[in-house]
Amino acid sequence: PAHLVGSLRTVKTTTWFEEHLTEDNQEYMRKSIAEEYTRQTAEKLNPLKDEPWQRHEWTEGSRRVGLVAVKLGMAPMWTKTGERHVVTMLQVQDCHVIKHLSKEEYDGHTAALVVGGKNVSPFHRSGTEMEMFRNAGVPPKQKVTTFKVSDNAIIKPAMQFLYYFCNVILSVVCSGTPLYAAHFRPGQYVDVTAKSIGKGFQGVMKRWGFKGQPATHGQTKTHRRPGASGPGGDPAKVFKGKKMPGMMGNIYITAFGLKIWRVNTKHNVLYVNGSVPGHRNCLLKIRDTVLPNRSSTVLNPPFPTYFTEEEGDLDEDLYDENLFIHTEPSLTLT
Amino acid sequence: RSVMAACAKGLDRCILSLRLLRNVKLQHERFLSTSLCHLAAGNSSQQPPKFIPPSKPVIVDKTQKVASLRKFLSPEFIPPRQRTDPVKFSMERKDMVRRRKVLNIPEFYAGSILAVTMADPCASGKTNRFVGICIQRGGKGLGATFILRNIIDGQGIEICYDLYSPRIQTIEVLKLEKRLDDNLMYLRDALPEYSTVDLGMKPVPFSPTGEVPVNKLKVKMRPKPWSKRWERPKFNIQGIRFDLSLTPEKMEHAQKWAQPWQEYDMLKEYDTSTLEEQILSEVQREMSK
Repeated sequence: PAHLVGSLRTVKTTTWFEEHLTEDNQEYMRKSIAEEYTRQTAEKLNPLKDEPWQRHEWTEGSRRVGLVAVKLGMAPMWTKTGERHVVTMLQVQDCHVIKHLSKEEYDGHTAALVVGGKNVSPFHRSGTEMEMFRNAGVPPKQKVTTFKVSDNAIIKPAMQFLYYFCNVILSVVCSGTPLYAAHFRPGQYVDVTAKSIGKGFQGVMKRWGFKGQPATHGQTKTHRRPGASGPGGDPAKVFKGKKMPGMMGNIYITAFGLKIWRVNTKHNVLYVNGSVPGHRNCLLKIRDTVLPNRSSTVLNPPFPTYFTEEEGDLDEDLYDENLFIHTEPSLTLT
Repeated sequence: RSVMAACAKGLDRCILSLRLLRNVKLQHERFLSTSLCHLAAGNSSQQPPKFIPPSKPVIVDKTQKVASLRKFLSPEFIPPRQRTDPVKFSMERKDMVRRRKVLNIPEFYAGSILAVTMADPCASGKTNRFVGICIQRGGKGLGATFILRNIIDGQGIEICYDLYSPRIQTIEVLKLEKRLDDNLMYLRDALPEYSTVDLGMKPVPFSPTGEVPVNKLKVKMRPKPWSKRWERPKFNIQGIRFDLSLTPEKMEHAQKWAQPWQEYDMLKEYDTSTLEEQILSEVQREMSK
């Protein structure tokens, strides 16, 4: 029947994990997978067992890895002079290094590291994706991105030759290097990339900011239209890239030069100045700034990344020097 | 009955009062007897018998020795109904508690009179003090604000303060009271006498136990047009004397904008009772540390 054409399931090849299991087995699968993944994320890279790759020092022009974080929301914060600024809170949830692509594999110029974000259930991921996560010994991630990295900043993802032993040993012994929020320090500048909020098919006034036409004075059915579309008879065509109505939003947008005001090491939260593209609880890609005037040579951020075993315990909250901390007494401006 | 018979000297005069008293069904025979004796004695020229007051029973309630403190959770602690991670709210709450340990933010409502001293680089002595009625408490979390309104030298002034701003040095409640509404924005269209607060007002003492006094004042308005159509049911204002400024026909016409289905809309319900209790206990625990 014609009215059921779109809603009938035509692809009958792939199955989902619950299809041929009894209810008890489904519950057991869920529980066991959850336990295994908590074990994997809780495990940290053991330097003795896994022969870590050599740690290089920072040199001019070296690039370090970025992080994948979740946008929590926004909050106000005040400086020591009493000015009020807005801050976005980004939480780094289960960020692991998954794969290392050498110069030749990636593009011939720079090496790359594949990093994954928030943990997600394995039951709705395809086989090829799961293979990559299994090699790294890491639970499947919602967002997987590559970061271009200089050769001295590569981080070890996992021991790959141990894959030939059974998977149980693999998950216990090795896991991808976890990345924490302390990788960035307050006072540093970052670029944040995320998919902007999708607005759907939008007209030219909202999408490109055209002025439209007046509401009255004889306008016939023309209030929000684009108007003219080009020069005229000489080109006798409409140029490519002409701003017209279409899908707006849901594209990757980068916000450059955002200052980090505060880092919370307990919950792994970064407080980043201003606003950031994307809706609440969306996944973002954070990296050190590309802008030349905001490069952080003074601050000495951890290179290649922040390791909890080696660098020891930081305070629960790291603040920027200009930020007003709430435990201090009220300001007296002089 | 024997007592009544004993006082039979002025019986004719007492017959009416007796009948009334019997109809009323007095509970205290003692009272009846003493009043009758007094009435009866007043008729004759003899000396009135000495009035011996009955012993009053003293009631001592030993169950509650000290009245419990009023439980108040500031409205900005209650998170809005959104799809945000509760981690964000818990982190904001920690910051709010840290600030509250340094600056005492007292309990107040819309309609209370507050005095706020703030650090100001342009003022002499670097602080400025403002006294006014709180007309609105808005915002959630660290960005909570409140607006104080006062009329100084004939000019109405409203200042919106951030509760957790570091520039605020003290917040004093001069008079703690509630009004019939949460939002007193209609004071802008009311007569100026309702928004004037004396700048040198002394704090009115209030107890930390018991109910907050509700001021059921109905405010007289200036002639229309107003800044907003306060008679419309969406504002749901109880504290204006509409009968002085609007005819009943206009009130009925305003009811056209009523949306009576909204109170039955289940998706709009937001029950915060359990959340409030949790957050209140958490905040009290943190504050006492």
